[in-house]
Amino acid sequence: MLVEVRPTKKLRGARALDLTACLSPIVDALCEDSLDLSRLRLVCDWVQYKNNFRDVIDVRPILSQPNQNGRAGESDEDKLEIAVDLRRCADSDLAEIVRNVLARRDDPDGLGRVYLEDWSKGTTSRIWEFNSLYWRYLGVWEKATGRLYEQALPGGESDARNIAGVHELIKEMFTVWDDLAAHNSLPDELYVIELGVGNGNQAKTWLDEFAKLDVEHGTEYYRRLHYMMCDYSEHVLALARKNVADHASHVSSFALDATTPMTALGFLRYKVFLVYISNVYDNLPTEDVAQIGGHTYRAEIRAYLPKDAATTIATDFGIEPASLVGAIDKLLSLGPELLVDALSAPFPDVARAAAFWMAVWDAVKLEERYVPMTGLDLYQIAPGVNGEMLRPMLERHGDVRMQVSNGAIASFVDTLPLLHPYGRLQCHDIFVTDPHQYRTGFLGPGKYDGSIVNWVNGPLLQHIGRRKGFDVGYAPFAHRAGTNIVTLTAQVRD
Amino acid sequence: MPLLPTSVVGSYSVPEWLERLKTDFYLHRISPAHLNEIHDVAIKAAIKDQEQAGIDVVSDGELRRDNDIDYLLARIPGVSILNPAKSYYYDYFDAEVPEPLSSTRESSALGLVEDFVYTRSQTDRPIKFSFTGPFSLSRRIRNSAYSDRADLIRSLAHALNTEARELVAAGATRLQIDEPFLAGYPDEVGLAIDAINIVTKGIDADWALHVCYGNRYSRPSWEGHYDFLFPAVLDAEVGTLVLEFARKGYGDLSLFARYPWERRLGLGVVDVKSEEVEPTDVVAGRIRKALEVVPPERLIINPDCGLRHLPASVARAKLKAMVAGAAAVRQEITGSPASQPSTETEES
Repeated sequence: MLVEVRPTKKLRGARALDLTACLSPIVDALCEDSLDLSRLRLVCDWVQYKNNFRDVIDVRPILSQPNQNGRAGESDEDKLEIAVDLRRCADSDLAEIVRNVLARRDDPDGLGRVYLEDWSKGTTSRIWEFNSLYWRYLGVWEKATGRLYEQALPGGESDARNIAGVHELIKEMFTVWDDLAAHNSLPDELYVIELGVGNGNQAKTWLDEFAKLDVEHGTEYYRRLHYMMCDYSEHVLALARKNVADHASHVSSFALDATTPMTALGFLRYKVFLVYISNVYDNLPTEDVAQIGGHTYRAEIRAYLPKDAATTIATDFGIEPASLVGAIDKLLSLGPELLVDALSAPFPDVARAAAFWMAVWDAVKLEERYVPMTGLDLYQIAPGVNGEMLRPMLERHGDVRMQVSNGAIASFVDTLPLLHPYGRLQCHDIFVTDPHQYRTGFLGPGKYDGSIVNWVNGPLLQHIGRRKGFDVGYAPFAHRAGTNIVTLTAQVRD
Repeated sequence: MPLLPTSVVGSYSVPEWLERLKTDFYLHRISPAHLNEIHDVAIKAAIKDQEQAGIDVVSDGELRRDNDIDYLLARIPGVSILNPAKSYYYDYFDAEVPEPLSSTRESSALGLVEDFVYTRSQTDRPIKFSFTGPFSLSRRIRNSAYSDRADLIRSLAHALNTEARELVAAGATRLQIDEPFLAGYPDEVGLAIDAINIVTKGIDADWALHVCYGNRYSRPSWEGHYDFLFPAVLDAEVGTLVLEFARKGYGDLSLFARYPWERRLGLGVVDVKSEEVEPTDVVAGRIRKALEVVPPERLIINPDCGLRHLPASVARAKLKAMVAGAAAVRQEITGSPASQPSTETEES
């Protein structure tokens, strides 16, 4: 049996975790079972997100064939991973939980779960429909919680609006433009793109400061500036446009999916001097891959509600238990406002529909299994990027599980062609910057308000960027202490 | 050669698996002998693809070369590679010239002759053999030897002149100098042309000069217009100027009306930075546009640049479209059915 304890920092210091107390009842319970312990992995994380998709103990079959139904034991070669959340161990009867999940591992019905979907690869799971719902109906969520999105961020505001950071970036652009102008190579139109513009606060800050600094600089770059605000939501863009009304003649807005910016902005290929992105990548769909015992697996997931939670929600909202999944389907497809029209009895108003949404979201968990991959080249990370890009990380770092950050990579590779030879992409987000972090920390998924958060696979982005001719660097966000935010900068190399 | 002969610029599609194997070599996972055999097989396939597409003048696809610079720089005596390890084969080496290069070398040292001989053994078609020019090579060198960088460029040109002499002695008749960095330094075009003339001096070959806006990682390194080449390029001792147009548009063709370039133009008719395959009629239209300023007997049809970054299927399709487009225009001009792909051999 292999035991992997990832949060090693928690094992030392005044408030050190009592690992023996956690593991002892688990190992005892495992030894009571007939399970082949030599085929067992016991992996321990510290799930730092209070709202997350994990149980204290989860069982994950490691399949030997790609087309199995997912129950361990279908083949003699199948293995099992038992995942433990050490943060919640002290409050749980671990031995009893282990006995319970092992007894029912071959009988999904026995686990009493209300499944919201069949097994799926991570990016197509229904949890991303919840994520999308959050951004589409952010106003409804904010009204229900009484708290604006930015207030939920660490520090209470987006790092994108940090004046010192904005000044530094603009001044660096002025230096590049001055040099190009000196060689008669500066284009007439100077394009800047922001992906994920939100309420437009960042755009306003940036444009206000740009205009001020341009007056000081005396080169009239503002006159040539075109700021392209891009967001998934037309509604959000309308709000953002109001926010930057003072700069209206310099601003255009585009409703687009951050993963495919070229669909709307292809006409700007090689013309953009700055693409600015803040807190977008961590919120885009991802899949996980794992290297286990020299073999590569894709983590498949299945969203469910624990039976007790499902019963409580159905009771609270006056829904027949058998109709609960149907009501969730309607919520995800129609949104909370139209749900009031579609199911008026349980949801007489939007506030009640929002309460249902929040209750379901709070209860959603993920079941996982590992499915063997049949060749990295056959795995599509994102359009035009296949799994071969994962090979260096998988080969160099032993047994490791990591996010592929598919959505972030799709966005990244579809953004790079926009950049002028002297342009740059700057992105503030939570990035893994060293593959070793995957062996020592829990990096998602977590629930962040109504959205999903995963740390972004920085080394993979760096590797892919490099293969496309870009130097990709990471630096701690320089303008606020104590933040996890990292600044990615991508620029043409050579 | 038929009217409007078709050719390539040099590099051919590098399959993903070959990139992996090239990188494996630098990670010491495969031997130089195995890599050499792999290159031999890949070059055979590249030549076969070009022949099947109907290309009149083929190349070895430059498949032995990691990139446009290192293959030559690492072999020039006196150029020091500071760290010969790479984590990705396509990366550039960090090269330095610590002392002035020897000017007394009399024989080939760069290995291009062996590459040409192998290519010659694999096809009966005429072969174009390309190598990067002294100006672009110099841009990737840390110069610690010459107070005037022009002297470094001229020294590199002399080394290439020696190699070209050996290539011609081995049977090469069509040689091309690539200057992918020149467009980034338009003020230095005179120096670059002087160096090119050192490379070609005394070599009895059909010389071409290729100038583009860069194709590193399938991206342009610079943007601009070919105005900067003129009139300096009129002094270049080359018979063909090979330029990119398909990606940038054909506005710069007007330069050939404004300046007395009485030699051949290698016309880029397919964009190597896009995987979209140009329809035959689009290719034909681009050729007709060029014919407004360049007579057909002085026009060669080629892609914008090397095909290395395109998937093989796209490269094949683009070459076929190019050949078909050229054939269509050729038929319009001659009034006879389109010529079959050339069967002319290098010796014929």
